[in-house]
Amino acid sequence: MAAELGVGRPTKRRSGAAAGGLPVADPRPVFDGQGVQGVRCGTCRYPVAQTGIPWCPACYGPVAPARFTPTGTVWSATVIAIPVGPLRPPFGLAYLDLDDGPRILVRLAEPRVLPPGTRLRITGTDCGDLVAAEERAS
Amino acid sequence: MIQPMLWGVGTSAYGLFPGRRVESLAWDAVAEAVGDAGITPGQIDAVVVGSVFGPPGVATRVQRGLGLGGVPMWTVENACASGTSAYHEAVEAVRTGRFGCVLVLGVDQMSTLFSGAIVPEATDPEGASSLPLPGLYALQAQRYRAEFGVTASQLAEVAVKNKRNGMDNPRAQLRAVAPTTEEVLASRMIAEPLTLLQCCPTSDGAGAAIVGPDRGRRDDLRIEASAMVSGALWDQRSEDVWGYASVARAAEKAFAQAGRTPAEIDVLEVHDAFTIGEIITLEALGLAPRGKGAELAPSGHTRRNGPQPVNPSGGLLSRGHPLGATGTAQLAEIAWQLRGRAAARQVARHRVGLVETMGGGAAGMDGNACVVTILSTQE
Repeated sequence: MAAELGVGRPTKRRSGAAAGGLPVADPRPVFDGQGVQGVRCGTCRYPVAQTGIPWCPACYGPVAPARFTPTGTVWSATVIAIPVGPLRPPFGLAYLDLDDGPRILVRLAEPRVLPPGTRLRITGTDCGDLVAAEERAS
Repeated sequence: MIQPMLWGVGTSAYGLFPGRRVESLAWDAVAEAVGDAGITPGQIDAVVVGSVFGPPGVATRVQRGLGLGGVPMWTVENACASGTSAYHEAVEAVRTGRFGCVLVLGVDQMSTLFSGAIVPEATDPEGASSLPLPGLYALQAQRYRAEFGVTASQLAEVAVKNKRNGMDNPRAQLRAVAPTTEEVLASRMIAEPLTLLQCCPTSDGAGAAIVGPDRGRRDDLRIEASAMVSGALWDQRSEDVWGYASVARAAEKAFAQAGRTPAEIDVLEVHDAFTIGEIITLEALGLAPRGKGAELAPSGHTRRNGPQPVNPSGGLLSRGHPLGATGTAQLAEIAWQLRGRAAARQVARHRVGLVETMGGGAAGMDGNACVVTILSTQE
C-alpha cells in the first residue's frame, strides 16, 4: 500500500498552522471574556461578528465596533465524528444566534446534538474556537 | 440574441488516479467532447475552465497538449459550481455573439491533495473552527429534521437510489455494491446524522462540453436557460436552512428564462454531495414543497423509473466529486439522457433536462455560487 493519499503533501488549500500548514491571520470571532466582538450598523443595527469591514453588508450604512452578549439560542447543532485540523472526534459544533447579535459557529462544551432553541452561553475559548455550554437555569 | 446549443460532451473516468497527470484527465474529456460535437480542435475559439484546486496553470498545460494556443482562455473558481459556472460563461458568450464555439472544461484532482474530507480553509471563520463540509451539511440536516421531522432512513434512501443508479455507470467511482438503507445507516458516522455512505467520495476527474450557436444539427441540444447566482448573506435573519436560498434564486431565474415549470422537467442531475443536499435542492427547484423533499426518493418519484428521475448517473454520491469537474459531468449525463444514449441508465421520458450545481463553504453566505441550466431536445 502506497502512502495514504494526500498525506504530508502541501496543498493549495491554506490549512493553517493548527493543521500543519503555515500560520494565517485568525478570521474567527473574538470572545473577550464579556462578549463577542464585532461591529454594528449605525443605520439598521445589523450585527456582524467581523471587524475591518468597510460598511454594513445589509444596508451599506456606517458600522461601529460593538460587543454582543455571550448568550443565545441554538439554530442547529451536530457532532463531528472525524478528526478535523487539531480536533479529535467526537466534537460538537453549533450555529448560535446571539441574543442581540449575529449567528456564529461555536464549539459545544459537550458533544451533543442539541435541539434548535437550546439556550447556550459562551464560556471561553479553546485553541481560539468559541466554546459554548448549555445555560444553567438559576 | 443567438440561441446557444450544446454541441457535444465528454468526460474522463471518475475515481482515484493519483498516478495520472491531471492534464491527462482533461485531455480524455476534451477529446471525447470534440469528437461528440463533430468539430476539429481548430474550430474552438475560446476556452473556459472550471477548477477549484487547480493546480495554478493547469488550464494552460491542458491547452498545450491540445494545441489550443492563442485563443481567449480563463479559469473560473466557484467552489463545487466551478464547472457549471464555466459553462454558464460559455453559454452567455455564445448568446451575445462574443464567441462562436466555446470549449468548457471542468477538472480537479483531489487524491493528490486530501486523504479524506477536504481540509477546511483556515482563512474562513468557520473553516478555522474546524467545520468540515460534511459538518456544514450535517448542520443543515439537523435543522431540517427538527423542523420537518424527517427520518434517518428517508435521508438514507437518497443514497440507496443514487448508488443503485451508479451501478450502471461505467465511469462512476463507486459501482461495486448498491447498499441497502440499513447498510447506509450502519456505515461509519461522519457528522451526525450523515454516515459515510451519505457523503460523496474524494475523486479525480474531468468533464468537457462544446457550446455554440444553432448550426442545424438535430442532435444538438437547445440550452433553454442558464442562470448563475453568487451567494447572499446567510445569517440570524435567515429562516431557511443554509444553501436553500441560493439554489432557489438560480432556479427561479432559470425557469423564468425557459418559460417552464418544475413539473415539465423529465430528468435532473443535482448536487448530492451529501444526501440532505439532494432533498433541500429538490425543494428549492420546486419539485416538492418545503419539508416534503425527503419523500421524493422513498416514494419512487425520483427513481430512474419514476416520473422525474434525479441523478440517474449515480450523482456525486456514486460518480464521485472532483469539484470543478462535477458540473460538466452532470451536463454530460443530461446530454446522454436527452439523446437517448444512456444505455442501462436511460430514463423513459427524456425531452427536457435540468442540471443544478451548488458550491458553498464560505461562512455567512448561503452558497458561493449556484448554477441551474435547462436543456431540451429539438423535437
